[in-house]
Amino acid sequence: MIELKDVTVRYPNGVVGLDNVSLTIPDGQFVVVVGLSGAGKSTLIRTINGLVPVTEGSLVVDGVEVAGASNRKLRDVRSSIGMIFQSFNLVKRTSVMNNVMMGQMHGIPAYRSLFGAWTAEEKEIAFQSLERVGIVEKAWTRASQLSGGQQQRVAIARALAQDPKVMLADEPVASLDPPTAQMVMKDLQRINRDLSITTLVNLHFLDLARQFGDRVIGMRAGKVVFDGTGAEADDSVFEDIYGRSLTADDVLPGKA
Amino acid sequence: MSAETKAAPTKTPRPQEPGKARATIGAIVLVLLVIGGGYFSNADWSKFPDVFTEGWRYFYLMLKGIVQNPFSEPYSEYWTQAFNGMLESISMAWIGTMIGAAISIPMGFLAARNVSHPVVVQVTRVFLNIIRTLPELVFAIILLLPIFGFGPNAGALALGIGAVGTLGKLTAEALEGIDPGPVEAARAAGAPGSAILRWTYWSQVLPEVLAFWLYRFEINIRASAILGVIGAGGIGSVLSQAFRYREWDFIGILLLVIIVVTVIVDSISGAVRHRIIAGTAIKDKDIDTQPVGL
Amino acid sequence: MTVASAAPAPARPRKPAPSRVLIGGLVAVAAITAWAAWEIDFELTSLFENFSNGWVVVEQFLHPNWSYLGNAGTAWMETISIAIVASFFGVAVGLVFAYMASQVTNRSTKLYRVTKWFLSVLRSLPDIAYVLIFVALVGVGSLAGILALFIFNIGIAAKLTAETIDAVEPGPLEAADASGSGTFARARWAVQPQILPNFLSYALYIFELNIRSSVVIGYAGGGGIGQLIQVQFARFNYENVSAIVISMFVVVLIIDQVSQYLRRRLV
Ligand SMILES: Nc1ncnc2c1ncn2[C@@H]1O[C@H](COP(=O)(O)OP(=O)(O)OP(=O)(O)O)[C@@H](O)[C@H]1O
Ligand SMILES: [Mg+2]
Repeated sequence: MIELKDVTVRYPNGVVGLDNVSLTIPDGQFVVVVGLSGAGKSTLIRTINGLVPVTEGSLVVDGVEVAGASNRKLRDVRSSIGMIFQSFNLVKRTSVMNNVMMGQMHGIPAYRSLFGAWTAEEKEIAFQSLERVGIVEKAWTRASQLSGGQQQRVAIARALAQDPKVMLADEPVASLDPPTAQMVMKDLQRINRDLSITTLVNLHFLDLARQFGDRVIGMRAGKVVFDGTGAEADDSVFEDIYGRSLTADDVLPGKA
Repeated sequence: MSAETKAAPTKTPRPQEPGKARATIGAIVLVLLVIGGGYFSNADWSKFPDVFTEGWRYFYLMLKGIVQNPFSEPYSEYWTQAFNGMLESISMAWIGTMIGAAISIPMGFLAARNVSHPVVVQVTRVFLNIIRTLPELVFAIILLLPIFGFGPNAGALALGIGAVGTLGKLTAEALEGIDPGPVEAARAAGAPGSAILRWTYWSQVLPEVLAFWLYRFEINIRASAILGVIGAGGIGSVLSQAFRYREWDFIGILLLVIIVVTVIVDSISGAVRHRIIAGTAIKDKDIDTQPVGL
Repeated sequence: MTVASAAPAPARPRKPAPSRVLIGGLVAVAAITAWAAWEIDFELTSLFENFSNGWVVVEQFLHPNWSYLGNAGTAWMETISIAIVASFFGVAVGLVFAYMASQVTNRSTKLYRVTKWFLSVLRSLPDIAYVLIFVALVGVGSLAGILALFIFNIGIAAKLTAETIDAVEPGPLEAADASGSGTFARARWAVQPQILPNFLSYALYIFELNIRSSVVIGYAGGGGIGQLIQVQFARFNYENVSAIVISMFVVVLIIDQVSQYLRRRLV
């Protein structure tokens, strides 16, 4: 369970990223966050795993208070939260396997990780994660040789290898073509259903938001302005969130 | 849907981990090279522990020299010699850089493919490469003794010749990297060759070339110490004298002066360099990491 | 008044005065140059007066004593060995310092500052100073050369590599942080793969540099080919010195080619 109580995030330059946000996300829910650019979607996601510090309020993830936690504590919290990025953030010059290992690095002592001495068990977890996203055949390929969709699936496997309670994804499909975007979203949904991992996804496209969100949260200027089911989120709601009428750019083009 | 997922793992076989033969062979070769190097260098490794046993003792003696009252004899003499030597070294480096810079300008133009005839380019490049390969010490040996006698004058000339190699090459590369647009415009306006070289080529590379000169100056300060050891004066000569007589307190003072003055001059020169190239397309790093040899 | 405002031709701007910084800079350069020239008694007249003296030496240089090269084999072996050992350990230790000298990998600002400061002190001394120090500590010979170059190489390797670390792609670092990786794992698996090609290229560069320094190293008592040059030079055997210098030229050229080949393979 993720619980935000009156959370405000102010960046060092004074910009308010989150403005007094209160939210409760129960275990296993698939939540889609929408909003215009600059609304604070990334800030929300990055705050939840402590990459951005909370200025005021309380944020509890899985029973642990994140606001004001020490570095060591934060690392512990983060190890149980998987994160997926728009630009994949893989280390391109090393193998897929080593990239997936990054997910388990939290529990591997330095003397082994420095030499890349993975145990059979750790490799097994990596393989299983890759299998779950259907890309196990690329395990020993260099990450630089993969397509964008493949890279994002490796990134999902990396997050899965953490054995996370929560999965955060910041516009995971924004750099992918429409069919690939569908596939990656389906992967995320399947993982959410199979492993009941609480999932929070930032999306730009309304149709994807409606299709996949058990719950849709709309943000504007750092505030939550809509909170409801995917079915409730019709065009007028989105126009409300965006503060303007919808355009063709707001839906995933060329969707079957 | 979930039935499908659970079936999936059995479908694709896991790939075999690729062999590590190449990496292993590479590592073995490297280790053998290092062990072989340790052996064939004829180094007397039994003396290695002396670094620690003797090192501390000498370090203590050096510190003692530094903390003595600098106005008492012989320490006032030591400090004076150290500062005079350092000033002489810096002067040597400065004049050397000036000479090198002056000669490297025509050399750079001659060695730039977009300026000179290909034959001229090739000949000049070979010449610059020869200079770059040979250490300043060799020029010093040729110039020093017979013509100018021992002293900083010869040292400055040696540094100057040594600098021509790298500065000429870097200038040529900078010239080759200019925007050809203005050159074309000047040609179209019927400008004579000299005007084109001055106002299109030279204007474009000036900040970069100035930065290279300053960087070379920083290098020359270190190189001047090397020349001092063979008798070209400056801090290097003083230092090698002090080492000859094992005057550790004096050595401590000398090393401290070298370190402090070099760090100060480096940071001034570095700040000026940053300022010169600020606002141009050149990145500071391009110059800082030029492999010219520190 | 009315006439002036009616006429549309605006006043021509006056040529701006040259900036004070520029004038100050030029004056400073001229002053430093004059002072430095005076400090070292700069002159070029000897070049014309004593040119014949120089020409004698140059003539000997033009007639290298090739037979002397037979003696240079062992010395070259020594020089190359010294360079291999010193570069290997120098860049290995330099890599560790590089990680400490970049804020990308070092989260402690204090340790970062101390490392930066230490490295700039390390780099401020020329290689010859280290040779003199180690000759005093362990005596004349290759060991002094190896130790001197080792220390010298740490400074260069750390500086070049730290700058590369500063410029790595931040994405993988963010991913490492988001998964709760520790400092070491992050440096090893998010940073090292990114800098490896550059690092190897620096290692080769440093090896070349060490070969070039060999004259200096040997001159001050650090063993290898430089020691040979020093002895022959002291005896005024310029024909022999010339042969060695030419062999040096060839060796540097070969090593240049080999390392260019390796670079292409590695990167
Ligand atoms: N590191 C930062 N420092 C200062 N301000 C920031 C920082 N990151 C984001 N902001 C500001 O916080 C606000 C919210 O940004 P955020 O990145 O969360 O928006 P977003 O909804 O994710 O937008 P996008 O759709 O463009 O990714 C913006 O005004 C942004 O300029
Ligand atoms: Mg965002």
